[in-house]
Amino acid sequence: MLQYQIPLLYLAGCCYLAAVLGYLGNLRLASRRLAGIALTLVACGWLAQSGSLLLRWQAAGFLPVTNLFSTQFFFSWSLALTYLYFDLRYRIGAAGLFVMFVNLLLIASILPRDPAIPALIPSLDTPLFTLHIIFSFTGYAMFTMAFSIGVLYLWQQARPTRQLPDLVLLRKLNEEAVFLGFCLFSACMLFGAIWAYIAWGYYFSWNIKSVWSFIVWLFYAGMCHAKFVRRWQGRGYAILSILGFAVVLFTYLGIGLLLESNHPLD
Amino acid sequence: MTPRPSFSKRLWSLCCSLKLAIVLASGATFLAMAGSLVMHFNPNVFGAIDQLTLIDWWQTRGAAHLRLSWWLTLFATLVLLLGINTLCCFIDWLGKIRARWRKLGEYLIHLGCVLVLGAYIWGSFSGFRHDSVPLYLNQPYPIGGLPGHYLRLDHFEPRLSETGRPLDMRSRVTLLRGDQQLAATEISINHPLLWRGLVVVPVSFGRDVRGFRFFQPQRGTLDLATGSRVDFDSGSRLTVETFYPDAMLRGDRVIKRGNRLGEPAMLLRLEQPGQAEWRGWYFLRGPLPYPLVSAGIRIRPTQPLFRVYSVLTINYDPGSRLALAGGILIISGIIIALASFYRKRRCGDHPDIR
Ligand code: HEM
Repeated sequence: MLQYQIPLLYLAGCCYLAAVLGYLGNLRLASRRLAGIALTLVACGWLAQSGSLLLRWQAAGFLPVTNLFSTQFFFSWSLALTYLYFDLRYRIGAAGLFVMFVNLLLIASILPRDPAIPALIPSLDTPLFTLHIIFSFTGYAMFTMAFSIGVLYLWQQARPTRQLPDLVLLRKLNEEAVFLGFCLFSACMLFGAIWAYIAWGYYFSWNIKSVWSFIVWLFYAGMCHAKFVRRWQGRGYAILSILGFAVVLFTYLGIGLLLESNHPLD
Repeated sequence: MTPRPSFSKRLWSLCCSLKLAIVLASGATFLAMAGSLVMHFNPNVFGAIDQLTLIDWWQTRGAAHLRLSWWLTLFATLVLLLGINTLCCFIDWLGKIRARWRKLGEYLIHLGCVLVLGAYIWGSFSGFRHDSVPLYLNQPYPIGGLPGHYLRLDHFEPRLSETGRPLDMRSRVTLLRGDQQLAATEISINHPLLWRGLVVVPVSFGRDVRGFRFFQPQRGTLDLATGSRVDFDSGSRLTVETFYPDAMLRGDRVIKRGNRLGEPAMLLRLEQPGQAEWRGWYFLRGPLPYPLVSAGIRIRPTQPLFRVYSVLTINYDPGSRLALAGGILIISGIIIALASFYRKRRCGDHPDIR
């Protein structure tokens, strides 16, 4: 069955590409039907990607999230799920363009690479690690959503268009994405800390990856408060969401690729 | 004109101020960003930071390299102030709980953060970390920092893959206070021994040379290690006072170079009836010392005797359970805050503007 993982991933990639085109069309034509089709395509893509993920999970015997291929795969899967949640709940239509574009980049960058699942090293063989990763990437996905909405907020302010949700809704969505991301990321930190304690004997490490995870958490905790301060509402919040995403990107990719850490990427 | 609030009132409202929290958190965030890079690029100063508690590290390394470590003091101060700020905010809410009980989730998160921070400070001051301690079978190891407590390795078994790669190590250990057994368990990767803030985790294992096996013509083999004593038929007695796996002669003294097998040597004592005692070094790669030959002792070294040991990290953090309680409080608070967030959304509520 594992041989279907790549065709399913290609299918997901094609659906996401078509959805992005659909949202682009929606942005020009303001067609509700096109937005509906794009949403259906995202849902189909996500189902295909879930199928591929399940096959990989079943073949490995553990959730495969231990190398760059697998984490990007999982990040993309979480991002599509996050987007589905927002679109199904708020019908944000063309506002999905940006986040689905990021998703497309993620998928496109893994498709040409080797999908082999590396053997699980013993210290990662615990449900605490799995939970740590699940909450980390679902949190990152929310922060990516907040980033896309932040960009759209600035866009909507600079060149108002009726195809995008209004500023009030965008602000609400941004705050919700940040709050949900903070909640998920807190769970990631808790499980990570318990795991570190039983694996290394301390729950907080001063290595660069852990310090930056703490920075991400503190940054978004700060954002959860900034929405109560008038000066940071709306535009300020959108800018913070974009900055926050840069911090997330550095924590996820920058440290693994640019610096050596105990969380290396292949 | 409204009277100006008293100094203590103004101080309290500063302590509970949300803006202050944002300033402190931003300061801490920027410092940690820059500081993390300083740490990463100076492993000679920061490399061992996780092997000690923060206070021990500061006393041994940090204070000696202030040019690289000053930011950590400032970061700790900001986080501490943020903790105090959060605590004040929580106490302020407690005072208004009748009117603001709906914020229970949010304030449980705050209390949880205060507990985790308090626990970390407690652990840094009162805890200790013994990193990578070699533990030999049945040799109780006194745990420095917990007087009267010992750790004993009862059984050890490495798990290797088919290619011989180490996979895991299973150590059966017993924690003792004097003769009293406090805890006993088999530890392996992700399965530590936990006892009241003490955590023992496996790190690796190794083997060292504890002695040598000798061949004796017509008598078979003889194992000699430090402390061995052999009585021969002729009435002479040979005692091994010291064994060095790798020794060298410096001047007229023999010194130990290391624990790996190199130039093994034994300090021997030979007692013979009616003769003066002889004491001297025997370098195993060289000839047998003459006094042994003349006493009729014929032995030839054949192979080293290895002793396996388990390498364990023994950490003690009295605040760890408080930190866990704080973490659980944060997650419980988050679940409640999530529920109230969506309830507010349903009612079309927006965050208040301060
Ligand atoms: C590390 C420290 C802190 C963390 C992790 C934290 C976390 C949070 C979170 C997650 C929320 C919920 C936000 C939302 O509803 O979207 C919140 C709300 C809040 N926090 Fe904090 N906080 C911290 C420190 C502080 C401090 C120091 C203050 C002191 C002023 C403070 C004051 C508040 C207030 C007033 C609210 C709003 C409650 C409401 O909805 O009325 N927080 N905090």
